[in-house]
Amino acid sequence: MTGAASLGARAAPSTSKVEVDISHRYGPLVVHEELRFSVMENEFLCVSGPSGCGKTTLLDILAGILQPSEGQVLIDGRPVDPKRDRISFVFQEPSTLPWLNVWDNVATGLRIKKVATPVMRRKVDEIIEIVGLRDYETYYPHQISGGMKQRVAIARAFAIDADLILMDEPFVSLDQPTRERMQREVLHIWEHRRRTVVFVTHNLEEAVFLGDRVVVLSSKPARIVAEIDVPLARPRNPLSHEFTHIRATCADIMHTLGVRPPRNATIPKVTS
Amino acid sequence: MNGGPVKVSGDAGKRSARLAPAVSSALWNAAVLCAALAAWQLLTLVVNSRFLPGPVAIARAFVDLAVNGDTGGRTLWEHSVASVERVLVGFGIAVMLGVPLGLLMGLYGRVYANTRVVLEPFRFIPPIAWIPLAIIFFSGMTRFAFLIFLGAFFPVFTAALIGVRRVELIHRKVALVFGASKGWILAHIVVPTVLPDILGGMRVGLGAAWLTIVAAELAGGISLGLGRMMSNYAELVQVPQVIVGMILIGALGFLMNEVLLLAEKFLFRWRWQVTL
Repeated sequence: MTGAASLGARAAPSTSKVEVDISHRYGPLVVHEELRFSVMENEFLCVSGPSGCGKTTLLDILAGILQPSEGQVLIDGRPVDPKRDRISFVFQEPSTLPWLNVWDNVATGLRIKKVATPVMRRKVDEIIEIVGLRDYETYYPHQISGGMKQRVAIARAFAIDADLILMDEPFVSLDQPTRERMQREVLHIWEHRRRTVVFVTHNLEEAVFLGDRVVVLSSKPARIVAEIDVPLARPRNPLSHEFTHIRATCADIMHTLGVRPPRNATIPKVTS
Repeated sequence: MNGGPVKVSGDAGKRSARLAPAVSSALWNAAVLCAALAAWQLLTLVVNSRFLPGPVAIARAFVDLAVNGDTGGRTLWEHSVASVERVLVGFGIAVMLGVPLGLLMGLYGRVYANTRVVLEPFRFIPPIAWIPLAIIFFSGMTRFAFLIFLGAFFPVFTAALIGVRRVELIHRKVALVFGASKGWILAHIVVPTVLPDILGGMRVGLGAAWLTIVAAELAGGISLGLGRMMSNYAELVQVPQVIVGMILIGALGFLMNEVLLLAEKFLFRWRWQVTL
């Protein structure tokens, strides 16, 4: 179920890029219980859920840097492998390398992937142009603002032809106006460089504004309680009737999580 | 500084109207040096003893030693070269062994934790305490290289060891997600993070190296070296020549330190400049 028919101008994503089927425990703590979902090629998928529901852990597993207790993540039908697959990660906290200037930071992924120098130069220059950092290429991270640092991290993620881009609440530490601008910018970049994106956020407004689809997780042990299509053309207007309706639907689902567990769920502690 | 959206040194604009900070600092240092020399000369005029030579007497001794050499005909230049050579060899070995060992033990904490009972006590044996053994076991360059190595190794080693702990998980994760190998992470994440600590450790190690060389040369057994020269003139109770040696040691150490500082300035342009 992708809601592809109502996605307007862009081509309908038809093939599944990422298949997730995992359960994960951390010691006696069940983090994810039978999480099963797929991400379509070039889809912008948002994952939302109450804080502490293991969203960051999920991204580590999707990136292939953490092994789930059970099950696996498939990219193009093969188990995820960061050495072979091209995976990008935009972290919540500042992750620019302070000893490299903006240009070299953006080039990091291409360098690790051993992309030939002329190709690398062209790709870095292109993405820097798109994110509007042309004038700041030679600046070091400590010389630019937090929002710009995050823009560098996003450019770094989009610079490689990523099979999968993972974003872990990348705008949570930015102020409201900057966050809204960055959300529009991410969509702008994504429209120029279509990639498969999994974007984690606990902010439903953000999820509905950005995603083709929103997957809502329950609190620990995390399981999928809803998958909601967002069949709205971009740019979306958060004040429109359809937008607020979808947002309210998501919020309803989230709010009932604590008291009304989903079918067959065995949630040990119910806090009222 | 390439003036940015965030101003790095807050008073850069204010200063441009006046002297460049480097020039003003150099002028101040020159003035302080002249004042110190003048005060010293004045003091010798008052005290007037052959055991307290003034700057003029020392300058005369300096020229004499540089041109005619010491009692054995060895010039100041030869003594200096001998000492500097020893320092560079011992210090170089200390850096070449201390940095990789420190990194290795920092990265594999177990190795350090399980061997520290042997490693750590060595740190507290001053290099000077090794001189008697070194005299028995080694001669010539080997002896000096060994002693200086002992002095310079631990500051460098410890700096690298502790610096590794500064590597941030997030930076390692950035590389891991892109599929970087261990070697790549070492070269491009660990080394750039630890390098400032290593340079700091090298400056401390260099100080220790000079401390050791003079002590080792004073212990004798050789005819060249600034320490040797000073000890010869001390036996002859010729104070100016002794002081020439002292000043030269200070100046050479200072110069080497300046070279390292320059390297730091160049290598770590990316760092914050902290001012109070």
